[in-house]
Amino acid sequence: MTATLKNILTGKNSRQGLWILPLIIVVIGFVSLSVSTEDFATSQNLSNLLKQAMPLIIVAIGQMIVILLGGMDLSVGSMISLTTALLAIDAPAVVTIPLVVVAAVMVGFINGFSVVRLNVHPIIATLSMQFIVLGVAKLIRPVAGGSVPEFLVQWVNGTIFGVSTVFLLTPIVILIGWKLIHGSRYGLHLFAIGGGAAEGQEDAAHNFGISDRRNIIVAYICSALFAALAGAFLAGRIASGDPNVGTIFALDSVTAVAIGGTQLSGGIGGLHGTLIGALLMALLSNGMNLANLSAFLQGSIKGGILLLVVALQSRKKMGL
Amino acid sequence: MNSLIKLTNISKSFGNNQAVDDVTLELNSGSVHALMGENGAGKSTLMKILAGVHQPDVGSISRAGEVVSLTSPKLALDFGISTVFQELSLLPNLTIAENMFLGREPKRSFGMIDTKLMESQTKAALAELGLTLNPSTLVSELTIAERQFVEIAHGIKADANIFILDEPTAALNAADVGMLNKHIRRMKDEGKAIVYISHRMDEIFDICDTVTVMKDGQHVATKSLSDMTPDSLIAMMVGRELEDLFPERSDAQGACLLEVKHFKLTSVSQPLSLKVHKGEIVALAGLEGQGQREIVRSLIGQHIPFGGTVRVKDHEISLPVAANNGIRQMSALGLGFVPEDRKDEGLFLNLPIADNITIGLHSTEGGLAPARKYREVIADTIKSMAIKTSSANASVASLSGGNQQKVLLGRYFASDVDLLVIEEPTRGVDIGAKAEIYKLLRQFTENGGGVLVLSRETIELIGLCDRILVIHDQTIVSEMVAADATEHNILDAALSSGSDATGSV
Amino acid sequence: MKLTLNPMFSSLLRVPPAYFVFAALFVTLWVTKPQLMNVNVMGVFVRQVAPLGILVLGQLLVMRVRSIDLSGAGVLLIVNYMMSSGIMGDIHVLFYIPLALLLGLIVGLVNGYLIGRRRVSAVIATLAVTTILAGIVQFFASGKPPGAMPDFYNDIYNTKIWIFPSPVAFWIVLTVLMSVFLSRFVFGRYVASIGENPTAAHFSGVPVERTVIIAHVMASVIASIAALVQSSSIAVGSIRVGLEMPIDAVAATILGGVVFGRGEGGVWGPFFGVLCFALLFVVMTSFGVPEPGKLIARGLIILLAAILYGMRAAKS
Repeated sequence: MTATLKNILTGKNSRQGLWILPLIIVVIGFVSLSVSTEDFATSQNLSNLLKQAMPLIIVAIGQMIVILLGGMDLSVGSMISLTTALLAIDAPAVVTIPLVVVAAVMVGFINGFSVVRLNVHPIIATLSMQFIVLGVAKLIRPVAGGSVPEFLVQWVNGTIFGVSTVFLLTPIVILIGWKLIHGSRYGLHLFAIGGGAAEGQEDAAHNFGISDRRNIIVAYICSALFAALAGAFLAGRIASGDPNVGTIFALDSVTAVAIGGTQLSGGIGGLHGTLIGALLMALLSNGMNLANLSAFLQGSIKGGILLLVVALQSRKKMGL
Repeated sequence: MNSLIKLTNISKSFGNNQAVDDVTLELNSGSVHALMGENGAGKSTLMKILAGVHQPDVGSISRAGEVVSLTSPKLALDFGISTVFQELSLLPNLTIAENMFLGREPKRSFGMIDTKLMESQTKAALAELGLTLNPSTLVSELTIAERQFVEIAHGIKADANIFILDEPTAALNAADVGMLNKHIRRMKDEGKAIVYISHRMDEIFDICDTVTVMKDGQHVATKSLSDMTPDSLIAMMVGRELEDLFPERSDAQGACLLEVKHFKLTSVSQPLSLKVHKGEIVALAGLEGQGQREIVRSLIGQHIPFGGTVRVKDHEISLPVAANNGIRQMSALGLGFVPEDRKDEGLFLNLPIADNITIGLHSTEGGLAPARKYREVIADTIKSMAIKTSSANASVASLSGGNQQKVLLGRYFASDVDLLVIEEPTRGVDIGAKAEIYKLLRQFTENGGGVLVLSRETIELIGLCDRILVIHDQTIVSEMVAADATEHNILDAALSSGSDATGSV
Repeated sequence: MKLTLNPMFSSLLRVPPAYFVFAALFVTLWVTKPQLMNVNVMGVFVRQVAPLGILVLGQLLVMRVRSIDLSGAGVLLIVNYMMSSGIMGDIHVLFYIPLALLLGLIVGLVNGYLIGRRRVSAVIATLAVTTILAGIVQFFASGKPPGAMPDFYNDIYNTKIWIFPSPVAFWIVLTVLMSVFLSRFVFGRYVASIGENPTAAHFSGVPVERTVIIAHVMASVIASIAALVQSSSIAVGSIRVGLEMPIDAVAATILGGVVFGRGEGGVWGPFFGVLCFALLFVVMTSFGVPEPGKLIARGLIILLAAILYGMRAAKS
């Protein structure tokens, strides 16, 4: 059993990667903030914290699905912005919500299709989609404004039986993510495809009879859908559409996934790691806010963390 | 005995290399069919066609007179063909059980994978092979032999009636092989058809009924093994003419250029030593995957051996050689390494011939040195190597295989090296170019160079080299003077059928 | 299911798309807005893209070794801030030049180390570097725009050398220098070989890691030069973060026929790629295409060019 313990501590020989270290940091952060700041451990601040973390958690789950395959989706930030923009057009929710879903499926499909069929590097495909989608979002809503369906605002900010709804929404999203990644054949196939890609044998999973191309396209669609969900949540929180609200999520989601022990080369990672990573990011923002640290420096610190985490991961390939 | 599947007139080529040439093979229920042949005889390609990995260029696969189409591994598996390939194809980040059931996982309610069922069935399947591994262990934690066993368990457990075992015993010891053989016999009794590829003579005679011998992609014969002896089998596999391609040997031998001592590839392999002198061509012969490739790649830092010392002329080099500049370090000492994979590791296909030749010279200069054109060097190289091209500015991709190989060798001849380590000097090269390359290598040694060469073609080693070192199981098992060597005794030593017949580990 | 192309089409693929696009845009303008077709007006348009053109010289270098550099945005921002905020105190205006180059050097070393040595994904590394630099600048600026640029630089920017505005002349000189550097020095051979086949380059004895690191250092130093020129073009400093410049640089480079390893466009293909952008801005502005339309155009250019490249790679 000591071997197992050692594996968990070092993240070696584990498909979940190194998640125990960020967990410890989260716990230490939690405890020290509770002790040092009176305002921290209040249910008001905690539900705020979760509300802040929620979009990142959602989009990071989608990002993780793609990263497990050895890919990456840099268009999620723009997809979030587009969602808020679409939700804030002057139309009833029965129109806007299907519109968002269709848009997400289209964006995800184009990403996936470019990658598997047209042989475009995932980062380049999704980077160009980032600009295309952002352009569309800005065409629809050049500056922040408009109003989103009332029920979204209610859901995000309201309470049910005296409990903040965000406490109920979180488990549902996590359950969906868990089902997709760890509780289905599809999830296992994601790991299989990513494991082959990380070893430099892209067709390893294909030789087991897995239809890798279709699975990869589906993964990019999932990623876009999760981004749309995160966008809907954000739209509810800010009660309007904003074409710039999503921008930071492209890198933040990658950071959250990478902090959680998921290998960017694919095949290694776990949902709990990603949740820990997203929480760590939220805690960081929350802590930095409580400590009155400039919002601008927070961006630098997050960028520094991303660099540190990715520099510690090993990769065989050089370049993109 | 009834026929389960028939491959008729199958041909397959990769580029200008005819891997399988008009082969017909029939597999019968309740029989173990050995497929024999030297390296590159086309066995693995033929089996990959049967497994749906490759599609034949010509020919058909049929069952009971009905043509079947096996266009993907999944279709082949659905059809009842299960394969254990020689290269390990398990996914390291999945557990044993997940690898065993990948692509056909059992489901519980709510679409969940039935991990318990998978693990209990895996445990049972492994137990049948005498293994007590925990099914929830990740494959990355297993040893090579354990992985091989899992691969076998994966292959033979499948619901199939045709089983292809491509060198399943390469990493197994004698006891494990016995266990595997027991299973093969049981499958045979159940009426399955088994194709068995192995280089271990004793295993072939132990469990196989029929043998098909292939040579150079062609079908030589199919016979019952009860009519055969190991000697007569080897005789069928070899027997190529020693063609008149090879230049005269010279007996000039000078100072030692390369010396490898106490070299151990892994902690358990036997130590080996070898020397290459000025004026001689030394060969490493042996069957696929016996460690010869790793031995030469250890010299340039592309493989990390267990230990040993390497001396190039007067310079002692400690192992392991640095991965990122081992090649530069060695070329500074006058050692050039010519990789086997011309297209992926050797040449820049879309760059001009001139650049492909001069890169060797340029890489010894600093980045800020002016890039000299070396026009005379290029012209000399093209002329002396008889590279057929209209211009030195033509891209290498436009050349034939033989001329591409000459460009690659020309790069090293043009730079200042006197020791060449060559993996496969003539892979995919036509016969005329082969003869020219042999002549060039001999000239190189006559001018005071030394060559260490690897090749799958035994006949080439006999004709070209001065000394042949036969590698088996990561060490040198035999050394012979090439002039006295025959295909037969090299293959005999490589198979080690005389001495260490039970294998190792 | 392989995509097949007919030979005619695939040989057309070898010519950098920039030349076709340039010709098409030029004709469009000639027909629709003939009044714009004179040296002075064009000079102003081309002058606008000179910083982009200089940035492209670094971008094409890293893209030829199969990497990418998006940290130009950060370098631009920090140089811009340094020059316009007065944060350096009362130093001589010429002193900004070595300072900017030093900043570029530092950023390049960080990029090079992360990408060449640590094998970090180049997009992630350089985007993160931009985020860090942007945060630092905005922190120092407290989110407010800094002051005016030194007049010295504005004045140079507005001069002309013969018919060429100075920045354009400077850009052309740098392009010639880069062209000579890549064609006449061994380093250029290293770059070409790594782009064509990094594994074969390694086996031929090319110092792959070192070359990639140096390419990134050069790209960032060139980005700081682009930043100096860009700063000279504006009267007042700005702290707005925009990835437009580096992304346009990527798009122009791809348009110019230099695509992750392939260097068929050389240095002049991307040069025309940048000219395309100059004309594109004019066309889009004169046809009233809004800012978001430009974003979409950028994305589409990169995606389409990458698809063309992907199809070509799949074919060979």
